[in-house]
Amino acid sequence: MSMSSHIRMQFVRSIAPEAQGAGSSAAADAKLGSHSTGVADSGRWSTRRIAMYALFVALAMVTSFIEFPITPVAWLKYDPSGIVCLIAGFAYGPSAAIIVSVLGFVPHMFADPWGSLMAVLVALCLSVPASLIYRKIRSRKGAALGIVVGAVLAIVAALLGNLVITPIYAHMSYAAVAAMILPILLPFNLAKMAIHAVVTFLIYKPISNLLAKQQ
Amino acid sequence: MPDNPHEAPTPAAKLSHIRFSYDHGATWALDDVSLTINSGERICLIGPNGSGKSTLAKLIAGLSAPDDGSIILLNHAVYTAQGGPNASEYRAARRGIGMVLQNPEDQLVTTVLEDDVAFGPENLGIVHAQIGERITSSLAAVGLDSHRGSDPTRMSGGQQQRAAIAGMLAMNPAMLVLDEPTAMLDATARAEVMTVLDALHAQGTTIVHVTHHPDETVNADRIVHMEHGRIVRIADPYDQPCLEPTVSAAMAGNTALLPGADLPLLGEQALQADDTHSTPAIRVEHLRYRYGSGRTVIRDLSFHVAQGETLAIMGANGSGKSTLAKLLCALGKPSAGSIEVDGIPVASANKHSGKPRFASRKQLAQLRRSVGYVMQHPEHQLFADTVAEDVAYGPRNQHVTETEVAERVQTALEALHIAHLADRSPFDLSGGQQRLVAIAGVVACNPSVLVMDEPTASLDVRAKARIHELIRALRAKGVTMVMITHDRAEAFALADRVVQMPDEHETTRETSQSNQVAATTQPMRHRSLMHRLDPRVKMVGILAAMFTMFAVNTPVQLAVGAALTLGIIAAARINPIRLLQSIHPILALLVLMSLTNLIVVRTGTPLVSAGPLSITADGVMIAVLYSCRFALVIILGAVFLNTTTPTAMTDAFAALLHPLSRLGVHTQEIALVMSLALRFIPTLTGETTSIIHAQAARGGSVETGSLAQRVKALSAIIVPVFAGTLRHADNLSLALDARCYEEGITRTHWRVFSPGLRDAVFAVIIAVYIAAIVLL
Repeated sequence: MSMSSHIRMQFVRSIAPEAQGAGSSAAADAKLGSHSTGVADSGRWSTRRIAMYALFVALAMVTSFIEFPITPVAWLKYDPSGIVCLIAGFAYGPSAAIIVSVLGFVPHMFADPWGSLMAVLVALCLSVPASLIYRKIRSRKGAALGIVVGAVLAIVAALLGNLVITPIYAHMSYAAVAAMILPILLPFNLAKMAIHAVVTFLIYKPISNLLAKQQ
Repeated sequence: MPDNPHEAPTPAAKLSHIRFSYDHGATWALDDVSLTINSGERICLIGPNGSGKSTLAKLIAGLSAPDDGSIILLNHAVYTAQGGPNASEYRAARRGIGMVLQNPEDQLVTTVLEDDVAFGPENLGIVHAQIGERITSSLAAVGLDSHRGSDPTRMSGGQQQRAAIAGMLAMNPAMLVLDEPTAMLDATARAEVMTVLDALHAQGTTIVHVTHHPDETVNADRIVHMEHGRIVRIADPYDQPCLEPTVSAAMAGNTALLPGADLPLLGEQALQADDTHSTPAIRVEHLRYRYGSGRTVIRDLSFHVAQGETLAIMGANGSGKSTLAKLLCALGKPSAGSIEVDGIPVASANKHSGKPRFASRKQLAQLRRSVGYVMQHPEHQLFADTVAEDVAYGPRNQHVTETEVAERVQTALEALHIAHLADRSPFDLSGGQQRLVAIAGVVACNPSVLVMDEPTASLDVRAKARIHELIRALRAKGVTMVMITHDRAEAFALADRVVQMPDEHETTRETSQSNQVAATTQPMRHRSLMHRLDPRVKMVGILAAMFTMFAVNTPVQLAVGAALTLGIIAAARINPIRLLQSIHPILALLVLMSLTNLIVVRTGTPLVSAGPLSITADGVMIAVLYSCRFALVIILGAVFLNTTTPTAMTDAFAALLHPLSRLGVHTQEIALVMSLALRFIPTLTGETTSIIHAQAARGGSVETGSLAQRVKALSAIIVPVFAGTLRHADNLSLALDARCYEEGITRTHWRVFSPGLRDAVFAVIIAVYIAAIVLL
C-alpha cells in the first residue's frame, strides 16, 4: 500500500470505522488491491499526491476569494480557505497542510502583499499543529484537540500579525492597534475559528466516506 | 527483423488471466480476462457501466497493475503472476503508450496549448529543437495547428479532447488507449474526434477505444464485449451492426429521427392560437441573455410550454440550452424579456426601461417548491451520509412533516428502482446509481414543472431506461417537463415536441473560426515590453517595488512611486481605465481605509471638527498618502497579473524556488503543484457555482433559515465541492502518469529563459527607484 493511501486509510479508520468496508482484510494481504505499478504512484511526491495537492491548493485559492463580513468591521472578512487547509492536513499530513497553506495564498501576493503574508502565517498556525496532533492521536478526539490548539495559535498569530501590519496600512501606533484587540480583533478571530471548527466537524464524516472510496 | 507473413504479428499488448478487485477480493471488477491486441489493430471495448471496461483500459495503458495474471505491453513484461509489477518495465512500456480519458478538462496541465503539448516530451527528456517539431506535427495531426497560443481550458469539449490526443501524440506512442473520449461531447465534436482516430489508425497506431456509442465501433477491427468483469464476446464489426435495440426500434419508419433531418427551431411556433385555451406552464417572451464577457447567447427568444407538455430541446454545445434551463429555474438573470413559470413571474419586462424585474424572495421560495432542476451531471451534487438523507434534503427544505418526508423519499427511490440503496453512502455507489439518486432527490420535491439538463448523458442502456420510465410516469401524472438532450431517439421517444435551440453563432461560425485564429496569434505579435520581460526578473522586480512602496512617507517619494507605476503601465500598454475596473473592489476598501486615517490622525491644524471627531490637515495628508501608496501597490500587482500568463508565472516561481532544491526541497514538484492549481481554479469555480445552483433549486439557502438549516445548506455545498476536487485529482494523477511525469526526473524545458538587455534595463530602473525611495 502506498504511503498516501496508508495515511488515508488510517484517517478513514479512525473517524469512520464502518466506512472502510473490507479494509481489515487489506492488512492481511497488503499486496492485493494495491494496483501499484511501482512507477510514480507511491511515495510523498507520487503523481497522485501531486494531483491531490494541486487540487487542494486550487480549492484553497478559490475559497480564499469567497470573502464575506461576519462582524460589522468591513475590512475584517471571513473566508473558508482555512477549512481546506485543515482537511488537507488531516487527510494527507503536515506537509500537505504546509503546501496548501503557503501556495493557496500566492495569488493574493500581488494584490495585498503584507496581508497575504499574514494570511499564510495564520493558516500555517491553524493547520500544521492540528495535523501534527492528529497524526499522534488518530481519533475524532485528536482531531478536535488539534483544531482547538491550532485555532488558539492561529488567533495569537493573527493578533500579533495585526499589531505589526495594521500600521503599514493605516497611520496608527502599536498602542492604538493594541486597543482594538479586545473590542474588534479578538471577537472576529474567535468567530472565524469557530466557523472553521464547526464546519470542519460537520463535513468530517461524509468527507471520510469520500476518501475511503477513493483510496 | 525480416517480415514474415506467416508469423503472427507482434502483439502490442498481451493480457493473460487477469483479475482485478477494488474491494480486496470481495468482488472482481475483472475476472480471468485474457486479450491479445495486435500491432496496428483498432479495438473497441464495449459493455454496460461497471462491466470493467475502464479498468481494463487502464491496465492496457500501463497505468494500473492487476491483482493476478500476466501482462506484456509493447514487448515489456510489466506484470507477472509470480513477480508482480515490474517498475522499470512499466516505465519503459508507458513511454510508448498514450491514454486519453473521458473528461477532457482533467487532462490539461496548463493554460497555453503548446506548453500543454510540450509537457509529455519534456518529461521524456527530449531536446528542445525536437519538442518544437513534435508540437507542430501533433497539433497538425488533430487540426489545432492554428491554436498554439490559445488557452485549452477555454476551448470547446471537442477541441479539448483533440488537444489531449495531441499531448499524447507528441510522445510518439505506438498504442493509444482512449476511455470514452466522446462521452461528454455533442455530435459535431464527436465527429471531430472520430476523424482524428481514423487518421491515426490509418497511419498504423494501435488503438484501444472504450465507448458507449454503437456508431463509433464501425471502423474497429474487433469489438470486445464485456459484462460483469468478463469478456463475453469478441466480434467483427462487419458481422453485426450493433445498434442499441431502443434506437433501432425507434428508428424504424420515423424520418425525423435521421440525424440530418431538420427540427423546428425553438420559438418558431411560439405564440400559436391554441396556447390561449389554458395558461401555459412556462411562458417565455423576448428573452435575451448576455454573458459577462459580452457574448449574447440567447436573443429575442419566445415560446410557451403547455401544462403537462414534455418539450425536448436539442442543439449544439454553446447554443445556450443550459443557460436557458437555469434561467427557467431563476438561477440566473436574463438581460431582457420575461419568464413566467407555473404562474410565478421569474422575470418580468419593465414596460418603460425594458430592464426585467426579478422574482421577489417570497416568489422565489414559491418557485423552488414547484420547479425542479436536474443539472448536468446531477450526481455531482450528492452530499449526505446516506442516500435517504440526500433525497430528503429537498422535501425537508419545504418544511413538510417528517412522515411525509419519509413517504416522498420512499416513493422517489422506488420510482427509480433504487429503494435498496437507501442506507448506503452515496459515495459508495457507481456513477449510474449516483445519477439515479440525484434525480430522485429532485423528484422527491414533487415539482409540477421539471427542467432537466441532459439527464441521461454518458449512462448505459439500463440506467437510461430507468430514467425514461420515470419521465413517462411523471408525464402521466401531468408534470410539465423541459428536457435538454443530444439523443434524438430519446427526444422523440419521450417528448410531445422536439425542437432545436436557435444557435446565435451558427451564422457567424465561419467568421468566428478566422477570428479565433487572429485572436490566438495576436498576443504573439502585439506583446508589450512588460509582456516580453523575463518572468523571473519581472516577478522579483515588481514584488520589490510593491514592498518598497509601503515605505513611501513624503509627497516627493509618492511622486517617484507614481512615476514608476505610470511608466510600467505605459510599458505594458494597458488601458488604465480597464485596469482600474479590474481592481475596483480593492479600491473601494481603500476609500474606507483613507476615511479611517482621516479620523484617527489628531495632530496638525484642525480643519473641521464635529464633537469628538476632527479632521486635521495632517489627517488629510496622511489619508491621501496612505491610500495613494496602497493604490500604487495594487496597480503594480494588477499590471503583473495582466501581463504574465500562468505558465510564465509558474516558470518564474520554479526558477526562484530552485536554489531551495539544494536544501532538499522538491522545487520541481512544488512548481508543478502551483501550475496545476492555477489551471484548475476556473474549473473548480464553475463547478462550485453549479452546485450552489443545484442545491438552491432544492430549496437550500445559506442566507435564510435557522442556524442549523444554514449550516446544513453550507455542508450541502462544501461536501460536493470536496468530492469534485477529489474526482479531478484522481483523473489528473492518471493524466500525469500517462504523460510519464515522475518525481525527480530530469526534464527538458520547452520554454527557455534568456534575460536580455530589456530585462537589465528593467532591473536598473527598479533599483534606481528603490534607491530614490531610501534616499529621498
